[in-house]
Amino acid sequence: MKLLNINSVNKKNTLSWLWLVALTVLSTYVDVFIELFNVQKSLFIITVLIIVFLKGQQIIDVFMELKHAPKLWRRLLLAYVTLLPIIIGCIYLL
Amino acid sequence: MSNAIATTVDAEMDLGNTSNTAIVEKRLPGDLAMWFFILAELTVFAILFIGFAVSEQLNAQMFNEGKAKLHQISGLINTLTLITSSFFVAIALNKMHQGLGKQAAQMLVVAKLVASVYIGVKIWEYLSLFEQGIDIETNTFFTLYFMITFFHLMHVLLGMVILAFVTVKAAKNEYNESNISGFESGASYWHMVDLLWIILFPLIYVI
Repeated sequence: MKLLNINSVNKKNTLSWLWLVALTVLSTYVDVFIELFNVQKSLFIITVLIIVFLKGQQIIDVFMELKHAPKLWRRLLLAYVTLLPIIIGCIYLL
Repeated sequence: MSNAIATTVDAEMDLGNTSNTAIVEKRLPGDLAMWFFILAELTVFAILFIGFAVSEQLNAQMFNEGKAKLHQISGLINTLTLITSSFFVAIALNKMHQGLGKQAAQMLVVAKLVASVYIGVKIWEYLSLFEQGIDIETNTFFTLYFMITFFHLMHVLLGMVILAFVTVKAAKNEYNESNISGFESGASYWHMVDLLWIILFPLIYVI
């Protein structure tokens, strides 16, 4: 059992939303940086998939409030945003 | 208290004198049945996403040409609208935890208005592809594109119906701390729709 401050929850939601917006814009234009610095496409794919995980983790922990849920459910959802990008990454890169 | 029991225990929140501090059990928000439904939905989409990635590897040139015909900015706008809509749903849930039903309902209306931008952009995107003579039968890429995005659109529409139902109940102050599970279930479903799009968007529009 822990104390939860409603104002801090709203602040967390706002910060999480800003973080998600920043990551979304970054993932859309990350290819521009890759071309600019002439980096391999594999790095571009890995970067985009890491961003998918980071965004998924925010939605699961903050918006879905699973950070305060039983561990099994939080781990199940986090496994989804971890394993799916890994599988997709393996399909594209191997 | 064990996790198994905690999942079915209602929120135990005491707003106390300061009205902004709550004591929260470690528990699953919403109904357990909704979470099994969410897991089932996530599994179906995972199969579609993996199928898309495998097909792309088998038809690399076709998929590259197909992706070049998509409007990436519309995908970006849709991602931002769903994230923003999810944010307002999360704020609405906090308002409901404070017993502010009418304010929660207002936040849900804002969430739905933002989400309606997604629907408008998606319809515009489909129509602009149809004008180019592209439809679901054009090739494998567009078959999967229309199938996955339309399936997701159906989930957005279902989510909006659920949120509309929750909004009406919240406006009537029918939720309280011992009976907030329905609100949380609706909110969780909506966040799942957002979660699916953040995987769909880079897979179809970006990579």
